[in-house]
Amino acid sequence: MVQLRPRASRAPASAEAMVDEGQPASEEEEEEEAEHGLLLGQPSSGAAAEPLEEDEEGDDELDDEAPEELTFASAQAEAREEERRVRETVLRDKTLLKEKRKRREELFIEQKKRKLLPDTILAQLTTASQTDIKKSPGKLKEVNLQKKSEECEKGSNTKKVKVQKVQSVSQKSYVALRLKDQDLRDSRQQAAKAFIHDSLYGPGTKRTTVNKFLSLDNKRSPVKKAAAQFLNNAWGVQRKQNAKRFKRRWMVRKDENF
Amino acid sequence: MGEFKVHRVRFFNYVPPGIRCVAYNNQSNRLAVSRTDGTVEIYNLSANYFQEKFFPGHESRATEALCWAEGQRLFSAGLNGEILEYDLQALNIKYAMDAFGGPIWSMIASPSGSQLLVGCEDGSVKLFQITPDKIQFERNFDPQKSRVLSLSWHPSGTHIAAGSIDYISVFDVKSGSAIHKMIVDRQYMGVSKRKCIVWGVAFLSDGTVISVDSAGKVQFWDSATGTLVKSHLIANADVQSIAVADQEDSFVVGTAEGTVFHFQLVSVTSNSTEKQWVRTKPFQHHTHDVRTVAHSPTALISGGTDTHLVIRPLMEKVEVKNYDAALRKITFPHRRLISCSRKRQLLLFQFAHHLELWRLGSTAATGKNGDILPLSKNADHLLHLKTKGPENIICSSISPCGSWIAYSTASRVFLYRLNYEHDNISLQRISKMPAFLRSALQILFSEDSTKLFVASNQGSLHIIRLLEGSFKHLHTFQPQSGTVEAMCLLAVSPDGNWLAASGTSAGVHVYNVKHLKLHCTVPAYNFPVTALAIAPNTNNLVIAHSDQQVFEYSIPDKQYTEWSRNVQKQGFHHLWLQRDTPITHISFHPKRPMHILLHDAYMFCIIDKSLPLPNDKTVLYNPLPPTNESDVFRRRTGHAFKISKIYKPLLFMDLLDEGTLVAVERPLDDIIAQLPPPIKKKKFGT
Repeated sequence: MVQLRPRASRAPASAEAMVDEGQPASEEEEEEEAEHGLLLGQPSSGAAAEPLEEDEEGDDELDDEAPEELTFASAQAEAREEERRVRETVLRDKTLLKEKRKRREELFIEQKKRKLLPDTILAQLTTASQTDIKKSPGKLKEVNLQKKSEECEKGSNTKKVKVQKVQSVSQKSYVALRLKDQDLRDSRQQAAKAFIHDSLYGPGTKRTTVNKFLSLDNKRSPVKKAAAQFLNNAWGVQRKQNAKRFKRRWMVRKDENF
Repeated sequence: MGEFKVHRVRFFNYVPPGIRCVAYNNQSNRLAVSRTDGTVEIYNLSANYFQEKFFPGHESRATEALCWAEGQRLFSAGLNGEILEYDLQALNIKYAMDAFGGPIWSMIASPSGSQLLVGCEDGSVKLFQITPDKIQFERNFDPQKSRVLSLSWHPSGTHIAAGSIDYISVFDVKSGSAIHKMIVDRQYMGVSKRKCIVWGVAFLSDGTVISVDSAGKVQFWDSATGTLVKSHLIANADVQSIAVADQEDSFVVGTAEGTVFHFQLVSVTSNSTEKQWVRTKPFQHHTHDVRTVAHSPTALISGGTDTHLVIRPLMEKVEVKNYDAALRKITFPHRRLISCSRKRQLLLFQFAHHLELWRLGSTAATGKNGDILPLSKNADHLLHLKTKGPENIICSSISPCGSWIAYSTASRVFLYRLNYEHDNISLQRISKMPAFLRSALQILFSEDSTKLFVASNQGSLHIIRLLEGSFKHLHTFQPQSGTVEAMCLLAVSPDGNWLAASGTSAGVHVYNVKHLKLHCTVPAYNFPVTALAIAPNTNNLVIAHSDQQVFEYSIPDKQYTEWSRNVQKQGFHHLWLQRDTPITHISFHPKRPMHILLHDAYMFCIIDKSLPLPNDKTVLYNPLPPTNESDVFRRRTGHAFKISKIYKPLLFMDLLDEGTLVAVERPLDDIIAQLPPPIKKKKFGT
């Protein structure tokens, strides 16, 4: 298989070669070319595809053959044409990218709008925040507001209002804690629980199953009852479903046979 | 007695959480029990083993240790690493304090009761000083390599023993350093196990340390020399708990096989002074692991994964052979978990973290007495309401009209409005509950569902008027000055004029709802109230106490009724007084004013006030008299107590309409089917 390299700069030269040789390319190679064309992001027309192939071969064969005559004007026109095409593709790509960016920006703006509360409520909040905070100087201590810029302060003010609303429902509906500590504590608690479970119910603890335990009880009791899985509907749901399905299938099969 | 159509409900899928710790308080004769979901219950052993108080559980609070200190203060510690103190008056948690040693496995109070010792996951043993209103960290003992699972204090307070994995260490309290380390044998019947967990230690005053471990051994060690003195192999599985009597002449151990062994110090020969520990009695009252035991002066107390609390009196310690000497097995909580909407035939079931609303089925068939009628419409599961957050539900209620549901956790009260449109049901949460409604011990709706009564744990009662989709706070009855006792039981009269409330010990208060003032207080009785109800029309308040006494008190007249005086004069039947589960619910028949309907876990009773009371010679539990007998015979044998024991264990029974009852049962087999697996035992012949 021929190895392919993108060579945009040598495109005019290859165009030259194309004019020389009207040789049709083998099918396999043509497929390769098509792929290559796609990779480059150029329209994979026959004109763009063939020269590359020729070029590769030309390395081996065309060395001893003399280049054929070509008028300067036609070569120039050809080259200009090529140059224009390249410029156009670059331009098109740029505009596409611009459009994409524009669309994304619009989406962002729209999302932001959706997150925000309606204007009337926002207006209410900003007016309410000033009075509310004055009423509760104790709560202000919790959040250090002084060092923050004007904008930040405004943001936290609105947050403060929300917190206060929750507090009015119940005095202590939140607790401040460091998440890092909590994670550590949770993981330790999980480990402790795992230890106790492992030492009581882990391997080597001689546990039986509840079903066996109940059936043993039933075996020894003077009044024999049905097994637990028949009395308790919550037990063995999967197995019961499987059995039902099997029964249905078996009946269908039987119907077909007779 | 009258004939009733009975809805026999067995779909209340309630499994009580397993018992993790018990702690016995000798001074007040009370027993604290903690469960695996963090619930702590207080049983009053002198008041007929009644569960008088409880503290709701919390998801993250797996209680591993429970102890009484400084007389009547109750502490617990758990796997979240916190030590909690409970306020036994206001029924809430006073404070939680982090011990900073990871999960706590064990906690014990010093013999003087002024210090608290905790053993942590990271191998540290920490000493806390108990101050009047808090606890304060004092110092650490020498850190151990592995978690400290059990602790015991020498009765003189100079040494402690700590059990870890594979070894027991003995500490000197003054210096805080380990003076001995006794390695426990891992071998179990010749097979080496991975590790040997010392589940419990006990330090005796003669210096002996008794240890129980996961290899099934009870071992006696000499703490002075650090040597093994004696070893008893008693179980094929773990021995999980130990408790020693105060006199140090007997101790009790509990095993994972469900057996409880009693060890006693007996003389070697009949007249020698040399004494020896001997395994005397095995008791098999449990089917699953016995996670904890306690030794009261007269009884062995054990609890475990199978959710039973067993109190086994020791016959040699009991002076009078009365009914108190009988074995007690407590499985179900002594409070109501079910409420019922009569109008819509709905049942509300309360679980630890959710509520379930069911509509009862119905039948078109008719039959004669004793027939089981086929259902034409099955019971419907209408609603599954999950709580937010880790706290357990304390109480819940559905309004008689079925359109309001209220429940409370330890920090919030929730109110929901239900709308029924044909077969659809929609739920609307009523937000902005007032700030003073933080937690409720009991919630009750008035008969016409326009008022909500909330008993908060500060002793106050709130009355809230319910409007369509909103509410209005009407009034708050403040507790009498100087008392902080929480109200646990509420009853409202059907006409909505009277509200009765009772706390854990003081008498029953009756309030006038119309004039918003205290009407009267029923004289206090020695035993706590277990159930309250106000009869329609007559406004008689019927009160059941934990010693099975039933009083009837006329609210308008402010005195006991004639019938109640008669009953007290003549006394109840001795078999009635010997019933061991409290009466948890009282209701009335709208058409028969002479009837009182009440039930406990094992019987349902209708008291007919027009009939003569039974004396001790008559048969209390009379079966239905044969119909072909003469009327005279029936009248002679008939007495006021009509008792039915068909439904058991009975968690709830109420009258839906004149001829219909609903009974909620919870068979024990269904509970066992949902418990963790037990230890395998070989039974002969199976």
